[in-house]
Amino acid sequence: MNHRGSFGRRDTTPFSVVMVKVRRLGQRVLVATGAVAVLGSCATNAPQDTWQPKGPNAKMIDDLQQPVFAVAGIIGIIVSVVITYAMWRYRDRGQPIPEQTHGKPALEITLTVIPALILAVVGVFTFRVIFDLARTDDTELVINVTGQQWWWEYDYPVQNEWGITQPIISSGQLVMPAGTKVLLRETSRDVIHSYWIPALNGKRDAVPGRIHTLRLEADEPGIYAGQCTEFCGLSHANMRMEAVALSKEDFAKWIANQQAAYRAPAEGTLAKEGESVFLNQCVRCHQVDGLKRPDGTLAIAAPDENVWSGAAPNLTKLMTRNTFAGAMFDLLRDACRDDVWKAKSAEFGAKYLAGVDETCLNVNDLRAWLRNAPEVKPMYANPALLADTNGKYRGMPNLGLSESDIDKLVAYLLTLK
Amino acid sequence: MFKVGSKLFLGLTGFSTLTLVAYLVFVERLALGGVALSMVLAALVGLSAVIIMINDGDSEVQPRDAALVRASMWPLVTVAGFVLLVLGLVVAKVYFIFGIVVVLAALTEWLVQAWSESASDDAAHNESARRRLLHPIEFPVIATLGLGVVIFAFSRIMLAISKSAGAVAFIVLASLVLLVGAIFALRPALKTTLVSGICVVGAVGIVAGGIAGQGVGLRADLVEALEEGHYTHRECGEEKSKYFDKKAMKTLSLRTNPIAVVELRDGVLSAVMTGFNDPQKSVSVPRGNAVTFIFRNFDTAERRMVASLGTAMAVDTNTEGDKEGHSDTNETCTQLIPQGAEQALTIVYSKPSIAQEAPLTLTVPGVEGQAIEVVVP
Repeated sequence: MNHRGSFGRRDTTPFSVVMVKVRRLGQRVLVATGAVAVLGSCATNAPQDTWQPKGPNAKMIDDLQQPVFAVAGIIGIIVSVVITYAMWRYRDRGQPIPEQTHGKPALEITLTVIPALILAVVGVFTFRVIFDLARTDDTELVINVTGQQWWWEYDYPVQNEWGITQPIISSGQLVMPAGTKVLLRETSRDVIHSYWIPALNGKRDAVPGRIHTLRLEADEPGIYAGQCTEFCGLSHANMRMEAVALSKEDFAKWIANQQAAYRAPAEGTLAKEGESVFLNQCVRCHQVDGLKRPDGTLAIAAPDENVWSGAAPNLTKLMTRNTFAGAMFDLLRDACRDDVWKAKSAEFGAKYLAGVDETCLNVNDLRAWLRNAPEVKPMYANPALLADTNGKYRGMPNLGLSESDIDKLVAYLLTLK
Repeated sequence: MFKVGSKLFLGLTGFSTLTLVAYLVFVERLALGGVALSMVLAALVGLSAVIIMINDGDSEVQPRDAALVRASMWPLVTVAGFVLLVLGLVVAKVYFIFGIVVVLAALTEWLVQAWSESASDDAAHNESARRRLLHPIEFPVIATLGLGVVIFAFSRIMLAISKSAGAVAFIVLASLVLLVGAIFALRPALKTTLVSGICVVGAVGIVAGGIAGQGVGLRADLVEALEEGHYTHRECGEEKSKYFDKKAMKTLSLRTNPIAVVELRDGVLSAVMTGFNDPQKSVSVPRGNAVTFIFRNFDTAERRMVASLGTAMAVDTNTEGDKEGHSDTNETCTQLIPQGAEQALTIVYSKPSIAQEAPLTLTVPGVEGQAIEVVVP
């Protein structure tokens, strides 16, 4: 007796036609996604590859995820093959529906116990790694990390054992000593962000009002790329970061330079004129430690009055960094950048500490940024649409600088080393 | 083309459209309620389209037997909901939202009852169909509302009676609940009517007590504490209030993630921070960001922590009416807390340390020579 009933008829109602089209579209999307995933795995330049750990914390995760992935993969293949076989073997060929049975305790218990055991084993190793990654008692260096739309601020609290006798504040690139247990104390000024340097550790959310910790340790000197991984607004995709690991000797040099006093440009130079432009325009948000106004008073930036998050990158020693605008742009031209990124461990420190000079400056991107920042990095910086933020910007607005002012500013910024 | 089901969903869609328009026009634009009503409308449009497309699933309407139709209170409740809804447009948003809830709930009940009455010629079967559909919704909702009323009434009682009487009342009530629960568990053969009666009497007693408590109002010390709120005097020295600042909370739910835990122990003030193995004398704080300190007092005396926030310019008017500018010291503080207690203090430092005339500090009045420096880079 055939029990196919109405399901056996070819359904030509508008609803079923739509469903068929939706199913076809879904299949195409699935195939396209698979193709993109396969092609993506062929990338040769993948600095954010989670499968290439460069430090003990990332290695711990890798040692866990490799066998788990293997076990999950084998199980996935077995399940897929069995399902595919069952679908093909018992496909609808007009045969009567077989006798329906319910319950097979032995099989059900077995199929419950085996996954439970697998998960228990995975759980034991996972918990061990989680607790190891949460350790803070062996910290050697603490760095405060604050996220905001759409850049990261790094603040090195006073730690005399590292020669940090006054707070150092930086952005874009996190500089740390290699072979050292570094603890990041993360928070956020506006929305939730997430800090992730795949080669050095997993992700950790930066949440307003809370302090979360993340261990980082790099085996070798070098630059390790990262990306904010919690959607945080318009330019989330452009909120990048780079961790720069230096040898301990080079890190000491970096510390010393960061604490060095401000050197004002020489009188009569283009850079000196740029300092005036900076004092008139940029210092409303950006702090340069040691910069003084013509009357001799310290120039104190007031980002709390102009920016929604209450902060803008501190530009003291800007040219000791290789990036700007939340690490979206390089301060170095491509050739100079490659020279630093591809340097061998022994040579890396010297090349990085050389900073950015006029010959290596990526002047095109820097000028474009100064000319009209929201045009090159999407930000809520339209003055007509700031009612919801009490007139405060999220990101850098278009300051309407003249080309002459931009020349002066570039010359001035080059002195911040 | 339009059968009963299609008409029903089209009617609901129309009603949702009107509700959304009314909400957007009279209540608030771009509010969560508007989004929710938009979602309801979108869902109803989709369902209407589907039900028209499938031709009501070829359903055939049963001729309704007048004898099977029971009296229904739902038209009345629906009208009451509409009255609330219209009232809400004039008086307050809360009535409007409550009106929508009542109208939607009453319409659902009404529709399901009407549907069930035409399901078959057997009135018992029809009622059973209605129960199967609605009881899984009705029981949890009614239970939640009932519990809410009881809890709210109990809170009114506790706020009206004195602290010591409150403790006794709580113990007595909890013991009664335990005792009655134990009897119910040990005597499963008890009549349902008896069990229900006891529960109803208990609930009615608490609600009556709550009404009485609401009538009496808050006990005197709570009223006085509200009137002498911390920010009416703002001093960070000797406490002047009689109630507000006394017996502060001894524990915090905010145990994790402060920027630092400031401890006063053996006359020494120190900051304990995750990542630093030793207590610190300075804390680095991000500028322009809300940060939370926890103050723990291990001293035998009651202590408070005071945070200096730098100076700010202020303008005074002297006796001759002239305005004079002067520099004011800003500070904020925790409440006085006894030995072993702790309190949180959340602060935003807008300006960097270099903009301050004197270092930003955390201190404890009465403990000399001890301070934690707050560094704002």
